[in-house]
Amino acid sequence: MMPEMKEFIDQNRVWYCLDCGKCGAVCPITRYERRDFASPRLLIEKAIHGHTDDVMDDALFWSCLTCKRCSELCPSDVYFSEFLRDTRTLARSFDCSGDCTHSEMVQTWGKIMSDADQKQNRLNWLTDDLQVSEDSDTVYFVGCLPYYDTAFKKMDVEGVEIAQAAVRILNHLGIEPQVLADERCCGHDQLWEGDQETFRTLGQINIENLKESGAKKIITTCPECARTLKIDYPQFIENHGLEVLHLVEFLAAQEFNGDTHLKAAVTYQDACNLGRHLGVYDAPRQIMDDLGFELVEMSRTRNAALCCGTSCWTACGQVSKSIQVERLKEAKATGAETLVTSCIKCQIHFKCAQNDPILGDEIDIEIRDLTTLIADSLMEHG
Amino acid sequence: MTTLHPDNIMEGKLQSSSKVIVITCNWNAYSGLETAGTERLTYSSSVHPIKVMCLGQISPGIILKAFEKGANGVLMLGCPPGECQFEFGNRRAEEIYKEVKELVALLGYREEQFKLDWIAAREGQTFVDVVGNFVDGLNGSANNDA
Ligand code: SF4
Ligand code: SF4
Repeated sequence: MMPEMKEFIDQNRVWYCLDCGKCGAVCPITRYERRDFASPRLLIEKAIHGHTDDVMDDALFWSCLTCKRCSELCPSDVYFSEFLRDTRTLARSFDCSGDCTHSEMVQTWGKIMSDADQKQNRLNWLTDDLQVSEDSDTVYFVGCLPYYDTAFKKMDVEGVEIAQAAVRILNHLGIEPQVLADERCCGHDQLWEGDQETFRTLGQINIENLKESGAKKIITTCPECARTLKIDYPQFIENHGLEVLHLVEFLAAQEFNGDTHLKAAVTYQDACNLGRHLGVYDAPRQIMDDLGFELVEMSRTRNAALCCGTSCWTACGQVSKSIQVERLKEAKATGAETLVTSCIKCQIHFKCAQNDPILGDEIDIEIRDLTTLIADSLMEHG
Repeated sequence: MTTLHPDNIMEGKLQSSSKVIVITCNWNAYSGLETAGTERLTYSSSVHPIKVMCLGQISPGIILKAFEKGANGVLMLGCPPGECQFEFGNRRAEEIYKEVKELVALLGYREEQFKLDWIAAREGQTFVDVVGNFVDGLNGSANNDA
């Protein structure tokens, strides 16, 4: 067995899987992968037998969503997602990588941003009515929103609208945050897809810029940025000592009286990185309640929520689509008018699935980001 | 008109640190490139042509990849409006162009670094002119290619 593999097996405790297999009952990939039987247990069996090639050929190897649904049920505290994160790094050293459906567009803009000399032009979304400053102790970390806005314009996703809404909400609370012209992609996808090198380069540039800003607090509207800056930068790059919050966490801790009476029924998609990765379940619900929305939960919710079906722009296909359709039908079954999420990627993936002309009405439900929903409610009622 | 003169070749060599990717479709645009070849017209040696079946098949990620790998500029050349071999390919190419144009602007590249143009079949000189103007634009000089 390769020494690296042995180390990854050890540190992620995956040997327990040999005697188990329980999470195959909830893993969305196990459920929908039809080309081959795919389950965490089977993959670990191959790893423990020392068949590194077989592990990297396993149908779950690049398609695992690192959604952590398995971890919620695991009786043995196994770090399965982390095991894949680590072994994918090993795979990269053999020039092996997952398939990206968008010709690596997202990974490539990440790569371009990892050049420290690259001067982006990423703040055009800042309209005159939005107040930002250069000395606030709060940085609003925008993430790739302007890029997604452009790349997925055809699907009418809320991209820069989320960023604008975030600044509008912060302004409403008397905060004029900093936004950084030199911000880079956080590197989440690179890390979980095994491209440690690009992840570290992006992270180093971001940490340097954030420290230079003099801010103490970082607010994001993307769960993956939040996780990466909060957990992974300190673990893999540098303990920057800055407080990192997703906007909904920050708002739940504020005196926040929306006092609106919209009374619209909404349902909520827990994004994997905000829910299972960061443990934030109550904050978005409390905000929606404060704002007067009636929340109708889907049958699988909070730590049992079903992932939006694609991660890291990799391995999207029939399995992803099946997961998305299943989740949209579940949302539709609540009778809610709107499916609310707090992650741009959930929104993109669900809207993509909704392009299906045959399923049409069966999965047709309005999808909104919680950030824009909050901003609209606040503006409506001052 | 540019000719096959040692000076021009040398000039090309000097520029070779700059990489220009010219993506042509297999039909009108490639025919332009081929005609330029058979007519022995020259253009900058920094130009690296890539032929694809149809310009509409290029996905935005591929163009970003060219910039990531160090291209100075990317020029997409296809069939003139109404003359696409596949009818809708050059209209699709325009959509792709619009999307990528915005992405490369966000990434901080200059407008001159990414362009879309049309070449009619067997227009060797037009091919050389269009490519030449593009390369000049990248070098920040005006079109002095009279
Ligand atoms: S990850 Fe946990 S639940 Fe899944 S097979 Fe391994 S030990 Fe069992
Ligand atoms: S993280 Fe999600 S997709 Fe990956 S094995 Fe666990 S349940 Fe399946």
